[in-house]
Amino acid sequence: MTIDLNDKPLPPLVKTNSIEQVRYPCSIAAMHSVSAIPRVIPITHCGPGCADKQFVNLAMYNAWQGGGYGGGAVVPSTNASEREVVFGGADRLRELIGATQNILDADLFVVLTGCISDLVGDDVGSVVREFRDAETPVTFAETGGFKGNNFTGHELVARAIIDQYVGPYDGPKQAGLVNVWSLLPYHNPFWRGDLAEIKRILEGAGLTVNILFGQHSGGVAEWKTIPQAQFNLVLSPWLGLDVARHLERTYGQPFLHVPVLPIGAKACADLIRRVVAFAGLDPAPAEAFIAAEERIYYSYLEDFTTFYAEYWWGLPAKFAVLSDSTYNLALTKFLVNQLGLIPALQIITDNPPEEFRPAIEAEYRTIAEDVSTEVEFEEDSYIIHQKLLRTDFGHKPPIIFGTTWERDVAKGLKAPIVEVTFPTTYEVVLSRSHVGYRGALTLLEKIYTTIVSASA
Amino acid sequence: MGTKVIKQIAIYGKGGIGKSTTTSNITAALAEAGYKVMQFGCDPKSDSTNTLRGGDYIPSVLDLLRENARVDAHKAVFEGFAGSYCVEAGGPQPGVGCAGRGIISAFQLLKQQEIFEELDLDIVIFDVLGDVVCGGFAVPVREGIANHVFTISSSDFMAIYAANNLFKGIKTYSDKGGALLGGVIANSINTDFQRAIIDDFVEKTQTQVIEYVPRSLTVTQSELQGKTTIEAAPTSEQAQIYRQLARNIIAHTESKVPSPLDSQELRDWSSDWGRRLIEEETRPRRKARPRRAAALAS
Ligand SMILES: Nc1ncnc2c1ncn2[C@@H]1O[C@H](COP(=O)(O)OP(=O)(O)OP(=O)(O)O)[C@@H](O)[C@H]1O
Ligand SMILES: [Mg+2]
Repeated sequence: MTIDLNDKPLPPLVKTNSIEQVRYPCSIAAMHSVSAIPRVIPITHCGPGCADKQFVNLAMYNAWQGGGYGGGAVVPSTNASEREVVFGGADRLRELIGATQNILDADLFVVLTGCISDLVGDDVGSVVREFRDAETPVTFAETGGFKGNNFTGHELVARAIIDQYVGPYDGPKQAGLVNVWSLLPYHNPFWRGDLAEIKRILEGAGLTVNILFGQHSGGVAEWKTIPQAQFNLVLSPWLGLDVARHLERTYGQPFLHVPVLPIGAKACADLIRRVVAFAGLDPAPAEAFIAAEERIYYSYLEDFTTFYAEYWWGLPAKFAVLSDSTYNLALTKFLVNQLGLIPALQIITDNPPEEFRPAIEAEYRTIAEDVSTEVEFEEDSYIIHQKLLRTDFGHKPPIIFGTTWERDVAKGLKAPIVEVTFPTTYEVVLSRSHVGYRGALTLLEKIYTTIVSASA
Repeated sequence: MGTKVIKQIAIYGKGGIGKSTTTSNITAALAEAGYKVMQFGCDPKSDSTNTLRGGDYIPSVLDLLRENARVDAHKAVFEGFAGSYCVEAGGPQPGVGCAGRGIISAFQLLKQQEIFEELDLDIVIFDVLGDVVCGGFAVPVREGIANHVFTISSSDFMAIYAANNLFKGIKTYSDKGGALLGGVIANSINTDFQRAIIDDFVEKTQTQVIEYVPRSLTVTQSELQGKTTIEAAPTSEQAQIYRQLARNIIAHTESKVPSPLDSQELRDWSSDWGRRLIEEETRPRRKARPRRAAALAS
């Protein structure tokens, strides 16, 4: 398929109220934020299909991540039917929580409600409170689909666990302990490796890190120490800010907001220095860590330079990023600052709340000392693809960072594509990372393997 | 089964205005006259058909559904006065679940099992709870269910407000194949003044009064025996009025889209009547004064 841009006039782009090829599921998909915490299991109180659909969406056709210990197909559901609509679903939920207590071995259960329960107004809180003295504690979050997308759901879940499980605390703070709020688990296919690398870097800077989600989290024991942390670090353009503000109100904890998830040595050093200054740590060990990491990082880059300089004729000069805000900003920053690529099209697809958008736009205007670019917010793949087709990439096709949805358009443009966010169907991801020092090298390998293998 | 068109009517009105009492008397009058009639109570209270069954409560469709996911709809149909059929949709206990969806489920259950056709009904009367708070309670006026809606109202302003709101609902569904308005059943109308208020309201909203029903002790006495007036006091004047109302409803064929007043119009309309009401109440005193003056003068 070739798309000739010069042939016929393109129709004007009109925003409709329908969305083609979704880029996020609804808030009950935050059941994945629950199962992303070791030994914590979600219980869903929703209609048949809700939980399964989100599992298949986010953990299967998205990098084939799998369900883990208590996610995916393990997740119990009330499978609410007409009877639960008419008479309320409290009895059914009570029965399910009771049965789950008997069958599943977990450290914490989190009930997530769907549209039915939230519309009908089931008093889920009082059902959950009945399990106060149960073997495994239970909390709940109202995540009916109409509350918003899975980003909203993630914050609802985090707050629910903090308020109902972690609870009040007015003891002393532990200097150097930080809670990290960053990528959305499962939505971002590389969250496991990325969070591991973030933890490694922050520890290198001299901090003790509550990474909270993934293999390197200490599970509920770690969550219990959230109130003791010296501060919260929000490492994303907007996700996690609400949670950090909530923690500021609840535990009097300050927070540091660093919108750029660091990819590569430059961004990593920037982050480490900001964090060290904010925490009032001794900069010496952090500087030593940076130096050691850079020695290795740049030695690999040196090897890469040979390829980069020799193969220039076959490499793209411009790029497009169509992804959630965290990866969008992080990639744009890296590609501009460390590879010297030209940003041609940046579209953020996770529908950030309006209040955060001006600050996000400002980040793109100062993407490098001498580079300014614009970012757009769009959720409808039809419009996203039209914008991709209408962008002037010059005489060479760009490299596209996006999702499986861009495959056909990329083919049409003869552009290499790297899938980085939901849905990423043509990747199997376990511990791979794209961030930090190590992840940046993996990302380079991925990008240029994709490019050189196109002529295979 | 023939191609008989079952007449389906829905009775709406403010809570406590007399819907169930009036509906049950209509049902009783029609059954007595030989019609095959079903009264379908759409109210979680499940008390619509009580006076057709000697004061008895019957298990509702949703009571059956609560016990068993598969329900034989026949088990929800009970015989009442003069061979009339009684059904209560029922609902969840107050404060939980969704009563509106309950009405929909109950209605669909009877419809799926083709109960109306099987019983060869001539007419089904839906007695819908007072305040239409959500979509479920609007079901009877929606496409393909009731063909005519009647509103019960007294001359009290709150009842008229409720009637006017219902007109708005009917208007909303009117271009989507919903039921149209047959008219107003004027209940508890005992004075000319009350009659004038309701007459003026139907004129302003371009509808009609189907029948004027006075407030009567006979109704109360009958209710205390667990019966309709038709059954308990068949020869009373009130029974005759209910029979006439039933005849008017059977004869009624053309329903219309009403013209509800907007909130400002309604406020102006009621304050205007409020003024007249004060004049009305103060008139005897003014009348008395000249007489006294005359007496003093003599
Ligand atoms: N014409 C009448 N004369 C005397 N009493 C009446 C008359 N109409 C209704 N009532 C009395 O008013 C009371 C309320 O009537 P009813 O239960 O029929 O109202 P409703 O509109 O069905 O109420 P709800 O909205 O609660 O279902 C009953 O006690 C009934 O006997
Ligand atoms: Mg009633």
